Amino acid sequence: MSVSTFYDRFERHAQGEGLKGHATHYCAGCGHGLAHKYMAEAIDELGIQDRTIAISPVGCSVFLYYYMDVGNSQAAHGRAPVVGLGHKLANPESIVISYQGDGDLASIGLAETFQAAQVGLPISVIFINNAIYGMTGGQMAPTTLMGQQTTTTPRGRERVAGLPIRMAEMIGQMDGPVYVERVALFGAKQRVKAKKAIKKALQLQVENKGYSFVEVLSECPTHLKMTPLEAEKWVEENMVPIFPLGVQKDITEEITPELEFKPFKPSFDVEEVKGLIIEGAENGVERFASAFPEHIAKDDISLKLAGAGGDGAQTAALLLTRMAINEGLDSTHIPSYGPESRGGTSYADVRIAKEEVLSPASPTPNILIAFNAPSLTKFAPTVASGGTILYDSSVISDPPSVNGDIQMYGVPFTEIATTIGRRVIKNVVALGALQAMTDIFPEETFLAAIRQALAAKCAMIPMNEEAFQWGQKAVREGIEGE
Amino acid sequence: MESKVAKLKIKPKPFLFPEFCKGCGRCIESCRFDCITEGTEINPETGLTPVNIDLEKCSGCGLCVSACPEPFGLHLRTVDVEEIDNDALEGVHSFQEMVDLFDKADYELEDPSELFGPRESEAPDPVAIPDEWLPLAHHEPLVLKGNYASAVGAILAGCRHVYGYPITPSTEGAELMAKLQPLMDGVFFQAVSEVATVNMMYGTGGAGLPSMTFTSSPGFSLMLEGVSYMVGAEVPGVFVNVMRGGPGLGNIAPEQADIKLACRGLGHGNSHAIVLTPSTPQEMLDLTMLAFDLTFKYRNPVVILGDGYLGQMTGRVKLPDRLKKPGIPEWAVYGDLEHRRNLICSIELSEPVQEQHNIHLNEKYAAMAAEEQRADLFHTDDAEVLVVATNTPARMAKGAVQELRDQGVKVGLFRPITVWPFPIDLLKPVLEHTKRIVMVEASPGQLEDELRLALSKAGIQPPIIDHVRHYGGILPQQSEVVEKVLEGEEVAQ
Repeated sequence: MSVSTFYDRFERHAQGEGLKGHATHYCAGCGHGLAHKYMAEAIDELGIQDRTIAISPVGCSVFLYYYMDVGNSQAAHGRAPVVGLGHKLANPESIVISYQGDGDLASIGLAETFQAAQVGLPISVIFINNAIYGMTGGQMAPTTLMGQQTTTTPRGRERVAGLPIRMAEMIGQMDGPVYVERVALFGAKQRVKAKKAIKKALQLQVENKGYSFVEVLSECPTHLKMTPLEAEKWVEENMVPIFPLGVQKDITEEITPELEFKPFKPSFDVEEVKGLIIEGAENGVERFASAFPEHIAKDDISLKLAGAGGDGAQTAALLLTRMAINEGLDSTHIPSYGPESRGGTSYADVRIAKEEVLSPASPTPNILIAFNAPSLTKFAPTVASGGTILYDSSVISDPPSVNGDIQMYGVPFTEIATTIGRRVIKNVVALGALQAMTDIFPEETFLAAIRQALAAKCAMIPMNEEAFQWGQKAVREGIEGE
Repeated sequence: MESKVAKLKIKPKPFLFPEFCKGCGRCIESCRFDCITEGTEINPETGLTPVNIDLEKCSGCGLCVSACPEPFGLHLRTVDVEEIDNDALEGVHSFQEMVDLFDKADYELEDPSELFGPRESEAPDPVAIPDEWLPLAHHEPLVLKGNYASAVGAILAGCRHVYGYPITPSTEGAELMAKLQPLMDGVFFQAVSEVATVNMMYGTGGAGLPSMTFTSSPGFSLMLEGVSYMVGAEVPGVFVNVMRGGPGLGNIAPEQADIKLACRGLGHGNSHAIVLTPSTPQEMLDLTMLAFDLTFKYRNPVVILGDGYLGQMTGRVKLPDRLKKPGIPEWAVYGDLEHRRNLICSIELSEPVQEQHNIHLNEKYAAMAAEEQRADLFHTDDAEVLVVATNTPARMAKGAVQELRDQGVKVGLFRPITVWPFPIDLLKPVLEHTKRIVMVEASPGQLEDELRLALSKAGIQPPIIDHVRHYGGILPQQSEVVEKVLEGEEVAQ
């Protein structure tokens, strides 16, 4: 055959046996065959057969892949353009054609249609609009005309069934596409235009210009219950007034080389990948502790840090986890937030284990740090026997009483932080107090972790160190606040 | 040069095999000289009525050819002078004379396969480009959140295509990917919905490359249609579902109530996928890497079920000693000559062929069940009470088992790492001395259902099964597990 983009034998059509090996499954007069042909000819003419991927939709053209000798992928109903994007992003050198009918593109797949159009990556969408559902048997399409009888609008499409949707106009209004045109298949003149438009849509992809959309008004004589020639006339006389032909958008000339899509290939460079992963996750720092802090618990310490969102409980908890892991221990941190992003409740459970953290939750913590009164009231009774409670005495004036073997101590976290200059570093004051109170890790461990966390904001380090030292001092010298 | 002259003398004219004409008549109107008329005789082979063509007045304009919707319908016949003796062309002055000569010299009209050639496609047989593993130098453990650890695992497994729709509590995975992928010329693409997400994975997976998404329960529900298509079309892809409270919008706290979906409800049709259930940030990394191996090994999606706690939990994570540079499998539709023959598709109208396809899928499921069962056993050697749990509840359970062992209670933990296939082969020997099972779950018994089904299929009469269950974002606590274990009569106090 002259068109090499059609298979020489349709092996996938009934195993290519008999006439089906060389004939399409379409009814006489169906427009799909013509659209296929113009597509195949354009692929030939552009010399892109090897890198073309045709996405078959759901509907009568679900079997596009029987015919086109290109890479073929068959998509779920309505999803062809995003399947196409998946292919395009996998291999930006490939030429992706999303071929869809009106049910597929303009009904079930609207969201995908619009996203693909607005993203504007270079794929070509060929939209066959024949105003009816073919494969399911003549039901209403989103493009069915008012008054048009279908099996689901037996009295003709009425107002309650909605109005025909004009896709080319909508897609043409969007910023993403570079070229949008509506063409038709009736008459030699329209067919020449249709072929030209389909070729242009592919050409623009070859040139990496961007997304293009060609709506093809097509005939479905079977479900219009007309002869093929009557159907052509029907499209011309009834569809064209609702779906006017012509270019809806063409900004091809405005696409300068800088605006063109640049094909890319992912990197697998080991050092680069490793660097990216480790960046921000820091290099291992020195160990300072000589042993597991067994004076707090034998081999598994449980902490809870609790306050309101913005108190810094999570950051402090994460720092503790980091310190433990830096010291070669196992540790976990689980946050628990209220529904609000800021100002709600914010609790953090931290576990630090000699070998392995078993349960990561802290229902009965060895250490509780409370940043506000509700947290202290809620969690003070859960603290394990022999445990420690630290609370912000700037905001908690009336701490609850606790069991005798629990050490409870108030430090004015907020007041100290404010004096130093920034209220938000009260969590670092708390860490200083924790260090002095429990000696869970040596001072150096804390300071190294703080510096590590602030590596990208070095200017903040001195103030944080100061806050930490004030926290220690408050415990050692008994600063109680006002 | 002579041959060129001979060719130019005869303008190509339309030609039609009647059996490939459906008689639509588009060509009739296109002809300015009325050469084509509606047919009158039904073709006995097709039952259709092809058009009649009279070439007396034909100018060879070709408009009828471009009006014909059939690939093997009207076409312009040209003479390949290479194949025809030049001398024979002398004295040929009309198209009909040329056709007569051509037919005599070349082929039988009745046999299209000879005319069009026996081949289906000129594209070569597809070949696979194999994966490469590159060594990764040792590094100190990282401090990573579960979601980040999974993202790092995916990157190390060679995943450079991440699609997603943000949903709490899985968003950190997407966010880290959005930050890192562009730096590696990879892709993070925020899709219009979870429906679009899974179909983008279908595209990239169909192209033969690793792809993944991070989602949470309501988003996973939306993806299931696409998962069924991926299973049907044998497309790989990794889904990390950080499960949250449900049903409906539920909340953003941890639950395990998608075990049913992942094990029994992956969309419509005969679908299964390996379902991995990590319990630590380290496993989030390790099992994500494993998931990519498995998804390509079986050409089937793989699901990782985490829980909201695990996604948010920060812990110690060691990097592996190698990373993968993925190749392109031979079946991929990559968009190049080497893979042009291929098709990714889940439709098959022929019932016997569709049945064969299901038999093929069943064989894959059987292979997964035989080879991919995974579980972690803790103090199970002599356990009389067996706690069964996975994800974060398994850690509460592990804490409880250790606490009880310290008290001398013969209790162990069986932690499935695959919930589909359920690791029944690993459980069987443990059950020989198990008097009671305590299921610990953040779901209304969905893991228990999997256990019971596996026992039933294996023909094992289950021991007493008790449970500790929580819902709505509350996880079972260590103390509750301890209490439940101690309730049993067989526990010697």
